Amino acid sequence: MFFNSIDFAVFLPIVFILYWFVTQKNLKLQNALLVLASYVFYGWWDWRFLSLIIFSSLVDYSIGLALKKEEKKSKRKLLLWLSIIVNLGFLGFFKYYNFFVDNFVEAFSLFGTKIQPNTLDIILPVGISFYTFQTLSYTIDVYKRKLEPTNNLISFLAFVSFFPQLVAGPIERATNLLPQFYKKRQFHYSQAVDGCRQILWGFFKKVVIADTCAEYANQIFNNSADYSGSTLVIGALFFTFQIYGDFSGYSDIAIGTSRLFGFDLKQNFAFPYFSRDIAEFWRRWHISLSTWFRDYLYIPLGGSRGGTWMKVRNTFIIFIVSGFWHGANWTFVVWGFLNALYFLPLLLAKRNRSNLDVVAQEKMLPSLKEVFKMSVTFALTVLAWIFFRAENITHAFSYIKNIFTKALFELPLVRPTNLIILILIFISIEWLGRAKHYAIETLFLQQPKVLRWTFYMFIIACVFIFSKQEQEFIYFQF
Amino acid sequence: MKHFILNIILFIAAFFIIEKSSYYLLYKAPEKEIDKRLEKVINGDLNKELIVIGSSRGAGNILAGQLEQETGLSSFNLSYQGTNIEFHDFVLTTLLKFNKAPKKLVLSVDSPHAFFKEKSLDFRVDPLLPLSGNNYINNALIERGENNILSNFFYLGRVSSNHFSFKKKKQRPDNPIDAFGSMPLLKKSNKGKALIFDSSIMGYKLSFESQEKLQAFKHIQELCKANNIKLVCVFSPSFKIFHKEFFNRFKELLQPENKLFVYNLERDTYTDTNYFYDHAHLNIEGAKVFTTELSTFINLN
Repeated sequence: MFFNSIDFAVFLPIVFILYWFVTQKNLKLQNALLVLASYVFYGWWDWRFLSLIIFSSLVDYSIGLALKKEEKKSKRKLLLWLSIIVNLGFLGFFKYYNFFVDNFVEAFSLFGTKIQPNTLDIILPVGISFYTFQTLSYTIDVYKRKLEPTNNLISFLAFVSFFPQLVAGPIERATNLLPQFYKKRQFHYSQAVDGCRQILWGFFKKVVIADTCAEYANQIFNNSADYSGSTLVIGALFFTFQIYGDFSGYSDIAIGTSRLFGFDLKQNFAFPYFSRDIAEFWRRWHISLSTWFRDYLYIPLGGSRGGTWMKVRNTFIIFIVSGFWHGANWTFVVWGFLNALYFLPLLLAKRNRSNLDVVAQEKMLPSLKEVFKMSVTFALTVLAWIFFRAENITHAFSYIKNIFTKALFELPLVRPTNLIILILIFISIEWLGRAKHYAIETLFLQQPKVLRWTFYMFIIACVFIFSKQEQEFIYFQF
Repeated sequence: MKHFILNIILFIAAFFIIEKSSYYLLYKAPEKEIDKRLEKVINGDLNKELIVIGSSRGAGNILAGQLEQETGLSSFNLSYQGTNIEFHDFVLTTLLKFNKAPKKLVLSVDSPHAFFKEKSLDFRVDPLLPLSGNNYINNALIERGENNILSNFFYLGRVSSNHFSFKKKKQRPDNPIDAFGSMPLLKKSNKGKALIFDSSIMGYKLSFESQEKLQAFKHIQELCKANNIKLVCVFSPSFKIFHKEFFNRFKELLQPENKLFVYNLERDTYTDTNYFYDHAHLNIEGAKVFTTELSTFINLN
């Protein structure tokens, strides 16, 4: 079920009413309702893959309980590896099987050996990369004794399949989300209203910004050979806003929906395009994935404790693995590698933690120096997104090559003025709210209700006016 | 909770009023249009004996007023510039839904692009947008992915940026729509670049073809048969060029009961730049000559 569908518009109020009016007095029943609702939400897309989620959940639940009883280090390690193999095994099969087979065949063909590939027609289960990482984090935390394993199966099933964030994150840690299923949720007016506001902003980002940008980005990327110079730059810029609007919009809807049910999820995007360097960008973009890799890959690999070589190696590993997590295509690997390259100078100069605050904090406008830094970081990000969006590496390189022609200094062939104005308004609103969890968190909050409601209605009207056919969220494919 | 539910209900009520008031935008949009042809179609005001459908070649090369005079059949031109055969199929389907079936249908063929997958000719949604207040048109927009299914319930879902332009549109002085729906090109060619034909598209392969477009052509022929309409497919002049491969392919696809009219390839007019706007389009002088040729054919068949 998509958030931007009529199905969800019907589904959400039904679950909300049952949750707060029918099952509120019984915590177990309320959690069971969430499990059921989550399975309906997921099964709406393809019920066959529900078995995968249930199986993964049961494996990690059982391993958690086994880890609780087991004191022997070697056996505990074995249990941990069992969980890793099962979870990553599913992920590897569904997401990477054909990729590895194809590359294996290609590698052999270089030596003159032709192999008949045995690829399979595999459907990638929606959200598998997200819930796999979520359940894995549980087992790893239990193994490291950072978390007490749960013996409450319903709560655990609800934690793994919690519908607002099931298919595209944020990837929640068991330490944050699981305990919220143990205690009775209270309805708070301010929390629910805040949730509605965040949902609204998420829809604006997805429908108005991302889907509109997608039209032009697709047109330019899909016919990139017909364009050159400034038009290709415009295409890359539109994709930059598309992916941000799409993914952060989804996160906003997910977090907002969770708040309607009394849950608090972690912030997943913190205005990444206002970052002053790449390190800051990665502290603000897809935070739940970046911190996952930091905690479960970078630190176990030695993190920043070793020498320079160790830090460089670990940085490249997490960026490349992060790229590969996004999809079975070399474009994602190069995207990750490129980001690691961007990160390298900061790491070597030990300046990767120099921009920890919010840009131009307590000021209306940034300084010239800040504008310059933000612009450079943004330009580097746009360049990297070309690899992320391109069909293959050759496409990405030809796209970049064709940018640097005489036509770079000409007016772009595709220049939708209305959309450009819309993006500028969007950037301004995001700038005003850059210190908050989401841009409109406190916007007009001190103003009279009439003004506030007018603003919300304006946003809803925009969503309706811009909504076309339901567009899938980009991150569903990951 | 009570406070929350109450506020949600109040908000929805206020939104409902604003939402419904957006009907005004939908209601006013058609008034700003110069091209009222589709509006006439859905209002059932086009009960003519001869209808022309096609893209810019149909709109500019065939003068429906002259056709009416020369054939004695009441005529109207429903050709839209830049549209593909799927759009022509839509126009015919809509015409038959709201009006009496014409006796004759002239389909202007885009040689050689008619069935190409490429998008130089498209299903244009912009003529439909000002009429999105109409349920039939809105459903067509939903089908094309232009409107969301929510637009069946909310007027706001039918509103597009088109509805926020409050100025009345103006006729293009060099390419106006006349009272019979034709859009003659009043300027002559610049005798330069515009008459150079793109020779790269001279070949023709079946792999060029889009199944959807072939299906649309098949559907047009089925509609004509079912409604007892005589279909005349028209190849209008290109400057010094005739695409034979496409012509042969088209003949294969045409059902035997339908007629095919090709301009007089020997005529000097069609090698004279004074009669062309560009290599694929006649100007008004050329259109007059060509329409007379077509009228003669229609009178004989």
